[in-house]
Amino acid sequence: MANITKKVSWSSRADESAAAGEATPLLNGSEQPQHSRQVRLAWKLTWGANLEIGRLSTVDLEEEITSEEVKSELQTSPTHTLFCLLLLSLDYDNIENQLFLEEERRMSYMGFRCLEISRWVVCGLIGFLTGLIACFIDIVVEQLAGIKYQVVKENIEKFTEAGGLSISLILWAVLNFTFVMVGAIIVAFFEPIAAGSGIPQIKCYLNGVKIPRVVRLKTLVIKVCGVICSVVGGLAVGKEGPMIHSGAVVAAGVSQGRSTSLKRDFKIFEYFRRDTEKRDFVSAGAAAGVSAAFGAPVGGVLFSLEEGASFWNQMLTWRIFFASMISTFTLNFFLSIYHANPGDLSNPGLINFGRFEGDSVTYNLYEIPLFIAMGAIGGLLGALFNVLNYWLTIFRIRYVHRPCLQVMEAMLVAAVTATVSFTMIYFSNDCQPLGPESTEEYPLQLFCADGEYNSMATAFFNTPERSVRSLFHNQPGTYNPLTLGLFTLTYFFLACWTYGLAVSAGVFIPSLLIGAAWGRLCGILLASITSTSSIWADPGKYALIGAAAQLGGIVRMTLSLTVIMVEATGNVTYGLPIMLVLMTAKIVGDYFEEGLYDIHIKLQSVPFLHWEAPATSHWLTAREVMSSPVTCLNRIEKVGTIVDILSNTSTNHNGFPVVVQVPGTKLCGLILRSQLIVLLKHKVFVELARSRLTRRKLQLKDFRDAYPRFPPIQSIHVSQDERECMMDLTEFMNPTPYTVPQETSLPRVFKLFRALGLRHLVVVDDENRVVGLVTRKDLARYHLGKHGLEELQLAQT
Amino acid sequence: MSLYKNCLFLLFLLIDINAFVSGDVNFTASEATNQLKPTLSSSAAGVVNSAVFKPFVDSVFSLSLLSSFPEDLEISDYCVELLNVFGQRYVDYVKCLVPAARPVRVCQNCFSTYGKLVDTYQNISSDQMGPGNVSCRDSLLRSDRLMLVYQLYSNLEDLWLKSDCDHCVTEKFQSLTNATLYFMTTLNQTITCFDKYKEGNHTELCKNCKNTYRGLNELYGKMEKNHTLCIDIEDAMNMTRKLWSKNFNCSFPREETVAVIAVSSFMLFLPIIFYLSSFLHSEQKKRKLIHPKRAKSYNSLMNIQDKLS
Repeated sequence: MANITKKVSWSSRADESAAAGEATPLLNGSEQPQHSRQVRLAWKLTWGANLEIGRLSTVDLEEEITSEEVKSELQTSPTHTLFCLLLLSLDYDNIENQLFLEEERRMSYMGFRCLEISRWVVCGLIGFLTGLIACFIDIVVEQLAGIKYQVVKENIEKFTEAGGLSISLILWAVLNFTFVMVGAIIVAFFEPIAAGSGIPQIKCYLNGVKIPRVVRLKTLVIKVCGVICSVVGGLAVGKEGPMIHSGAVVAAGVSQGRSTSLKRDFKIFEYFRRDTEKRDFVSAGAAAGVSAAFGAPVGGVLFSLEEGASFWNQMLTWRIFFASMISTFTLNFFLSIYHANPGDLSNPGLINFGRFEGDSVTYNLYEIPLFIAMGAIGGLLGALFNVLNYWLTIFRIRYVHRPCLQVMEAMLVAAVTATVSFTMIYFSNDCQPLGPESTEEYPLQLFCADGEYNSMATAFFNTPERSVRSLFHNQPGTYNPLTLGLFTLTYFFLACWTYGLAVSAGVFIPSLLIGAAWGRLCGILLASITSTSSIWADPGKYALIGAAAQLGGIVRMTLSLTVIMVEATGNVTYGLPIMLVLMTAKIVGDYFEEGLYDIHIKLQSVPFLHWEAPATSHWLTAREVMSSPVTCLNRIEKVGTIVDILSNTSTNHNGFPVVVQVPGTKLCGLILRSQLIVLLKHKVFVELARSRLTRRKLQLKDFRDAYPRFPPIQSIHVSQDERECMMDLTEFMNPTPYTVPQETSLPRVFKLFRALGLRHLVVVDDENRVVGLVTRKDLARYHLGKHGLEELQLAQT
Repeated sequence: MSLYKNCLFLLFLLIDINAFVSGDVNFTASEATNQLKPTLSSSAAGVVNSAVFKPFVDSVFSLSLLSSFPEDLEISDYCVELLNVFGQRYVDYVKCLVPAARPVRVCQNCFSTYGKLVDTYQNISSDQMGPGNVSCRDSLLRSDRLMLVYQLYSNLEDLWLKSDCDHCVTEKFQSLTNATLYFMTTLNQTITCFDKYKEGNHTELCKNCKNTYRGLNELYGKMEKNHTLCIDIEDAMNMTRKLWSKNFNCSFPREETVAVIAVSSFMLFLPIIFYLSSFLHSEQKKRKLIHPKRAKSYNSLMNIQDKLS
């Protein structure tokens, strides 16, 4: 083994250009014979015209929306037709430079075994810490919400008799207001990236987009506090989505063995300080988050698979599953201690759907069409939700973008939520007797007869999770159809209004709640229509199906959501109906609008690569897609040139093809901005190396130490003398970058990018000269619109 | 219940007689009479049924299908006696329960009979040897699939547990707890008050009985927190509340609708102002479009193609 590696490294050191030349034939097969090109070009002519029309119409659309001149180049922000330039990609491709090869050679067999073991240890830690965080959030929310509801309840009881219920209303509103204000302030002013559920961000991260600050410790802290505040503040939100983000942050932190925010370096897991390894752990963290949130370890694994599946293998899956299991187990264990029966491990997940047992589980063949119909309703309602939220988000990005305005908005939403809830409860006439096994923690009597409670209050005057559970499991007859209908309507709009505020909060629970409410309504109506058979009698079953339909209609997840729902209910029997419902919801919903997360990814102008290149894009070749001309560096380059190139703010490139000037300019490697910066920082200049022979050789460790926050070029001081020095990039560049010939079609390039997690793809001609560079942004700008293939614009915030 | 019990007794009798008839040498007449005694002294309730059972006994007897068992498998006199007592007490308890079903008085009225039943059962199920070194636990409770005695008892035990009567009765089933008695007194006061003002206008009643009713409610709430409620108290409270809210209509009226509507419409108005003002006064965020460097080979390529063709 060692011998072979030695040989390879030796040969590549000896003849760089040859090695680079050898890289090209890798993809030469993609070059098509000349005669078929003729046909393709004819196609291109017709389609090209189409493209032009497509472009024009996009511009028209812009004008309509913004009523501003496009020519002025000042585009009103941000419709989905723009990309943010500041978003960089992650380097999922391993840089096999000489330093890397040397390190690999030095590593013993035991070293590799230790690495493998430490991967497992890291996954275990991720699961453990994620479970702990979930447990912490759960307990704090329960305690604080308990105090809040107790205070409000006592107040309402006092004023029901004495008069002055409007004071209770104000008290409730003010309590909500305060909690949400704290939550919104920390999010809006300290870490805006912690807003929302975090699932879109994690999706982007796993896709390969580097969203700034998304996996920092500070984000985690703000996220956790923000979630607690917003749930206690009574907003129509859940704490499950943020759990996924938290898990991902924990993973990114633990696997690095240090915290740059705390300036602590534990000197462990140094090998994992690169994007590739980190991504694997982040997907494990996301899985652990899902599994802690829903008590669904398999669902967590499948969630990671669904969101970032391009890099999977069995060992990684197995490790991720391990992390998920540990996370559920930890949560279980600590919750059992909290509930004062240690050792009882039956508290899986933050949300506990409760067990569906007995007669309520049974369903019959003739109910399947009904379920599918409910799925269609869920898809429709989900699409409506998404469209409304889309317009609202656009409005927010345009007009409510200052932090103080965002905080105010969140506070207003909190106050209005309390007001609406109170009004609904106040005017509700639905009174139900307090059951013997009364699950209502804070029953409100108000104007009901003594010994009865207001049924509307169980839905509104409660944390959303509890409301979901009571909708699933309360006996038939607990809710009036009218109550449920009103509740669905108000909660739908409240949830839609709330998602996208500057608070950290998830959309899972509100969707489930809306769906459970109208699902239960369906169940009740069915029972009242037929009134004969007892099989209809259980509305809890329909509540579950409705919840699945609504959630599927909003987020459009398929595989993982099915498994999550099945696991959260602890009932495999419902597998088929839930799957059918989610499929229908997705099909119906996709007809109108994309999923909520995709909408938000688009609105954040993220260059997101989907599974496949847009259809009908085969006629586009790398030549049209690539950026050109490319800023290249010589293998031995002057320091001044490098500094100038790096300092150029208008270009802001991150990868530079390295060329060698033998007869012509031939490609011999690729070097990244981050590497150049480290080299400049350590002053690895040819002249200096000659003068000081004892100088320590730069190692891979130096690059890792700087990861992931490489200093900006402005912070590196290079003196005038040093500018005249030369830098030899041979050792540090990636000598075998992936290259494609100019005629490669877009889907082919796309596949390379998606499957290998590339960041730069060099386009070369038949003499191995660099003609262009394809990056993520070049690929992601094509999308299939209503007028055929459309191209998106790049923008700078 | 008693029907089954008699059946059981008659069955025992039957077995004995059979044994006797078949002429087992070890069996003496005195023993046979001893065996008969419990049957004869069998409960009063059984008298009615015995006539019904006669034909059955006769038919079996005439067929002579059952033969006797060896002595060591038979149950002892002591156990039969215990069983007898159990039956008696069982009947007493059930007799007490049924009339107390509505309005529920099962704890107040029947706790003493239940106490006696429990005593007997404990005697049966205890490990202690009775006279003649016999334990009736195995022979009476679990020597067959039916486990009749156990089933009968556990049914009543379930009832007792479900009714939470333990909370209202002192240890050893001596008497009702003081809290229960106090509650009953308060309840009586309230009911008296209700009776007093029942005629005529109910607003009068609502006003005058409010204090006693509220006292009762508070007491109930306190007991609920202490977990000292039993079904009697719960039911009594339920009925009183129903009287108060439904019959006399003394619930709180919805009075301040106007104030609530005013406050909530003010709250709902705020976001509209907010969005309008931010729409009108906030400047839009602008973004600069960037034209990426592209190889403009697109058109040139087409030209080449044109030339070629």
